[in-house]
Amino acid sequence: MDALEAIAAAVWPRSFSAAVPWLMLLPAVVLVGLLVLGLWDMADGSFRTLDTATFLPSDDYSLANYHRAFTERLFFTVASRSLIGSLIVTAITLFLAFPYSYVMVRTRSAALRKFLLIALFLPFFIGQVVRAYGWLIILGSQGMVNEALGLVGVSPIRLLYNYPAVLFGLVQYMLPFAVLMLAPALTAIPEEMESAAGSLGANWVRTFLHVVLPLAKPGFIGAGLVVLTLSLTDFAIPAILGGGSQDFIANAIYDQFFRTSDQGMGATLALLLVAVGSMMVGVVFALFGAGTLAMGRSK
Amino acid sequence: MTETIAAGTPFAVSVRDVNMVFDGVHAVRDATFDLERGRFLTILGPSGSGKTTLLRMIAGFGKPTSGEVFINGLAVGSVPPHRRSIGMVFQKLALFPHMTAAENVAFPLRMRRFDARTIPDRVQRYLDLVKLGRLGDRRIHELSGGQQQRVAIARALVFEPDLLLLDEPLAALDRKLREEMQLEFRRIQRELDVTTINVTHDQREALVVSDEIIVMDHGRIQQKARPEATYRQPNNAFVANFIGVTNFIEGTVASVDGERIAFERAGFAGRTGNGFRPTAGASARGALRAEQIRIAGGREALGDVDTVVDGTVTDAIFEGERVVYEVAVADLGEATLRVFDHDPVAHSQHDVGSAVALGWNVKDVLVFGD
Ligand SMILES: Nc1ncnc2c1ncn2[C@@H]1O[C@H](COP(=O)(O)OP(=O)(O)OP(=O)(O)O)[C@@H](O)[C@H]1O
Ligand SMILES: [Mg+2]
Repeated sequence: MDALEAIAAAVWPRSFSAAVPWLMLLPAVVLVGLLVLGLWDMADGSFRTLDTATFLPSDDYSLANYHRAFTERLFFTVASRSLIGSLIVTAITLFLAFPYSYVMVRTRSAALRKFLLIALFLPFFIGQVVRAYGWLIILGSQGMVNEALGLVGVSPIRLLYNYPAVLFGLVQYMLPFAVLMLAPALTAIPEEMESAAGSLGANWVRTFLHVVLPLAKPGFIGAGLVVLTLSLTDFAIPAILGGGSQDFIANAIYDQFFRTSDQGMGATLALLLVAVGSMMVGVVFALFGAGTLAMGRSK
Repeated sequence: MTETIAAGTPFAVSVRDVNMVFDGVHAVRDATFDLERGRFLTILGPSGSGKTTLLRMIAGFGKPTSGEVFINGLAVGSVPPHRRSIGMVFQKLALFPHMTAAENVAFPLRMRRFDARTIPDRVQRYLDLVKLGRLGDRRIHELSGGQQQRVAIARALVFEPDLLLLDEPLAALDRKLREEMQLEFRRIQRELDVTTINVTHDQREALVVSDEIIVMDHGRIQQKARPEATYRQPNNAFVANFIGVTNFIEGTVASVDGERIAFERAGFAGRTGNGFRPTAGASARGALRAEQIRIAGGREALGDVDTVVDGTVTDAIFEGERVVYEVAVADLGEATLRVFDHDPVAHSQHDVGSAVALGWNVKDVLVFGD
């Protein structure tokens, strides 16, 4: 052991130990660095328009792509659809995730808790595309739901390729993330806290509003941010359940890069998406404070 | 089931044949007692004896498996906690960390829809009562442990509940602060004249603060009596053992003469505890408090006592205001007796290994069955 320590001391003198924390940060710094490089490249591309004659990006810089992004109706439709959609999805998901996590955290029955946990993780093993495809089978015009409706004499209803279908799919996809972020926040609230509110005269609604909700705020904000950003930038569900008619921003970006091959326009949209996403996170932090994520040193 | 006990009952709380069974665990068995208005009751018992369970049923968290709780003579079986007029201080205080001290105290007033204009005054009055007058604006984590206790008390009392329940709120405090808060509880309780039920496993606290003590073990009420009676006339060997430092001497009964029970061991006798009337030949045990045994270097120095035995000191523990001796007594089947010596002059007089004489009076030995 002493020999080992001696070697270690020779290779890594004690005086270097102050550098250890920085060294541990290195992988993260490299990753973020790569991301910045990519963004830089994108930023460069976003100022070049596509030359329709050569199908190559122009050599000169202009704001033409940004002008298009802000004026063309298509982009406006896609952007507002994704923004409004992700807000609706966030609201519904949090609304559904709360009771789920609450029961999972508070139930006395170990069996029920296990069941809820497994039900939560199962979708993770299946993957987003397969799951979306599953919805096609269930909701398609010859799907299970329509067949069941047919049995009672209702003619097939179009359940797919519309906005509600996409939102529905997103909520279903996001629910586990939200529950996973909310559950620890609820676990951190002592049950005595709720009993106390009861003995002080609060019924369950007021206990929820005045005690559970404020104390679970970090969890709600964390879950809300994750759901908001993930659904704002989602690709597979709008593509599959929207059938091309309900594109979100990510689908529009994909089209620019891989269909029209307009790298510049794709880069512009991607950067705008990053900007909008960061702004929304920034607004949440400004409203509630980053401390609400229970980060930073506690007193 | 009866819905009321009696109109105008003097009892703030009545508990009748209450049982609580958690899948398999019989946490409270056949609990029955009455508590008069304005009195301070302490429920005392070892960990897991069912104290919290009993208290929670009175507060309305957890419905009894069977039996009924009455508050002011009314059965409250179907009344949820927030409709009962009960202030409770929890084991871990359960103060709301996202509110200031004053907001915590105002919380029950807001929930119980007190006139909003009167709330600030009332909050201030109760903060003053617990001597926190100037600290209302502090957040909970900016207060010391003792100050947090006081906020919790003010919050539980501010809406003038019929009943105050305390679930070991002092357990986490250091001894000095705990003793200070015990007296504080007592002062506030007297000042407001509020009926109080306190749960603890600290026997000293029970003796100091209570009008009455309920001793529980294994979910069963072992005794309900005033502090002196609990100490001097324990109902059974468990109570005798749980409160104070008690020596038990096992043996076979030789003869019973009225109150006096003589053992087969030479010269050992006691009086019946709890009306225990054994016949000769039965096995029994005598309970003898450590402070009722006198200790001296020789028999002649003991003075006038009924029973005298010789022993050898096996341990001497200096506790400041007293010395605790452990003495092995051959005549009592090598039993080790614990003896308190409160005489400062005699301190550390007996070294480990030295021969001593022990003496006590027959009336101080309480005899119980097994
Ligand atoms: N919710 C519950 N589910 C199952 N068993 C429980 C529950 N609450 C209490 N018990 C059991 O009931 C018994 C009494 O518990 P209780 O909390 O009343 O004890 P206590 O006297 O308050 O102990 P302590 O001094 O440690 O607080 C224990 O055996 C405990 O394990
Ligand atoms: Mg307890």
